[in-house]
Amino acid sequence: MVSGFAAVLRKDLRLELRSGESTLALLALSMLVLVVLVFALDAARVRSVDAAAGALWVAMVFAGMLGANRALLAERDNGAIRGLLLSPLDPATLFATKLAAALIFMAVAEVGAVILMVLFFNLDFDASTVRLAPILVLGAIGFSALATLLSAITGRTRGGDLLLPILAVPIFVPALIAGVKASAAALAGAPFAAMGDWLKIMIAFDVLFVTAGYLLFEYVIGQD
Amino acid sequence: MNNSAIRNWLGYATLALMVAALFMVFDYVPPEAEQGIAQLIFYFHVPLAWVAFASFGLVAIAGIFYLWLGDQLWDDLGYAAAETGMVFCTLMIVAGSIWAKPIWGTWWTWDSRLTTTFILWLMYGGYLMLRASADDTPQTARFAAVLGIVAVLDVPIVIASVRLWRTIHPAVLVTKQGGHGLEDPRMVATLLVCVAAFTLLWAWLLMLRFNQLRTRSRMGALAVRIAFASAAAADGK
Amino acid sequence: MSAPVVETHSLAKSYGVAPVLRDVDLRLLAGTGAFIIGGNGSGKSTLLRMLAGLEAPSGGRALVFGQDTRRLAARYRRRIGMMAHESFLYPMLTARENLEFYAELFSLADPHASAELWLGRVGLTEVADNRVRTFSRGMQQRLSAARAMLAEPALLLVDEPFASLDHDGAEIVAGLLRGAIERGASVIATAHAVPEIDGVEFAVFEISRGLLLPHAHKEEVRRGRIRSLLGR
Repeated sequence: MVSGFAAVLRKDLRLELRSGESTLALLALSMLVLVVLVFALDAARVRSVDAAAGALWVAMVFAGMLGANRALLAERDNGAIRGLLLSPLDPATLFATKLAAALIFMAVAEVGAVILMVLFFNLDFDASTVRLAPILVLGAIGFSALATLLSAITGRTRGGDLLLPILAVPIFVPALIAGVKASAAALAGAPFAAMGDWLKIMIAFDVLFVTAGYLLFEYVIGQD
Repeated sequence: MNNSAIRNWLGYATLALMVAALFMVFDYVPPEAEQGIAQLIFYFHVPLAWVAFASFGLVAIAGIFYLWLGDQLWDDLGYAAAETGMVFCTLMIVAGSIWAKPIWGTWWTWDSRLTTTFILWLMYGGYLMLRASADDTPQTARFAAVLGIVAVLDVPIVIASVRLWRTIHPAVLVTKQGGHGLEDPRMVATLLVCVAAFTLLWAWLLMLRFNQLRTRSRMGALAVRIAFASAAAADGK
Repeated sequence: MSAPVVETHSLAKSYGVAPVLRDVDLRLLAGTGAFIIGGNGSGKSTLLRMLAGLEAPSGGRALVFGQDTRRLAARYRRRIGMMAHESFLYPMLTARENLEFYAELFSLADPHASAELWLGRVGLTEVADNRVRTFSRGMQQRLSAARAMLAEPALLLVDEPFASLDHDGAEIVAGLLRGAIERGASVIATAHAVPEIDGVEFAVFEISRGLLLPHAHKEEVRRGRIRSLLGR
């Protein structure tokens, strides 16, 4: 099982690296969202951790939706998904690999987004920036799990691309609230103890959706 | 048929309780001193909320049974519950808005209960959109089941996070009292009757819709059997 | 008598109200091959997909290795190889990378060696490190055959294996199918018309109006059998 996981993940990363431009373009798109928000929120005037945290998470969610979609998209060429379904690979293991691939994509996008956020919203690169890392990781895990599970559904439906955000965003709201609040607190210098409740919510969300995805993926990935 | 007898009884009972509820709300119970007449919406708001959430729970339960047993009946039940629940959820949001205006002066407020219901409404909407954009196949039924389960599991987390969100930033406006600050026993009685009336209304509508979907599924299955049979008959020639 | 590798009982499939397959009873023992002939849309691909567990039947049952195809466990999927209209190949990976990936997926001991071996068997060694995107349809077909067979499956399901192949390609694939049967594997293949494969006896069936019927193989035509076919 572990060898299957490694094989698929390696294959996905290799494909991602080879698709070169489109990966870069998607990352750029996520960054552009930040630019839009800078002007929308007029961040140049005022130094606001709340606005910064909010903008960061909007960019993250955007990147997350693009990333999860792409992880499964690779299997649509030549019906490759059937090759995977026919192999000894577990659907649950397949979920884990797609989750990992989406997570990696989101993580790269997040690093870029954080850098831009600090620059655009007049913040500093210091300990508070570093303290963002675990919060963003928790958020990325939860969103990747949710989006991977849902994009298996929306990928096979008419109007699928539009449907993914419609389904994902309401379900993600609790983790979004928690993530933005915790991020704003971290940027304002608060210690982790102060945001304990928010972190607990994010952890609960992650556990729930990674588990649910793992168990339910076989019902949405089968052909028929 | 046994089915329609139950349906009719349910219908009459709903009618009776609804009339009673309306009487109690508008004629019997005293309005709360602080908020005045507008507070009476509370007696509709709470039952609508209960029904909207319960219906959603039913969507998930039906989904679980469908994935487990594979019987189309559970899929039909889930779909019926989603449609019915959506109606009540929409009503609840509208009622909340109507209440907000005289009490707080705005058409909407992000208080914890309204926010949670709004999220629920969005989830319902997503479920129905999924159904609408996909063909009527077992695969779609599986998709819907998984979506329903996943969304419902999320609801407790939504409630927790929204509540936390609101306590850290208490609404500038006065937060409304919960359903348990009712001193007058007449208020309690009215509330209970309203809850019962709306629950029956929900059950009745659910049953109507469920029966419709069942009939449609059965007809579909029958059409397939006819197709097979006529192909077999054509063999004989 | 050993248990059949493939067995179906009144297998049926309909898409909406259109019956595609009806009352299909099939038994295939180990080390034997069957060809299923039929026109476009006759349901041969559907039948193969149901046997592979990729599609659920509308009625009846299909058993592979004694297991219901709707719930095939990993250890049984390991023993099935499928070649379909779609190649299941990743266009942006090279031929070698595709085969090594599948070798890893099937937990073969030495993926690199297996890939090398099968690239040789299908005559693609020279282009092994080119991306599949650059391959012709025939080359992809050959690579797909290699992919299907490299885990030495006990059951091979091949959908129109000779389509898009030139004479050399067809020879290669025919040889591989023959080799598989000699190894003791079972093969179910589909085609438009009865193919010529020297050295192996295949049972031949035909799908007509959704029914699976024994086909009068031109080398085995006997009057009695024709009469019983017509009498059906």
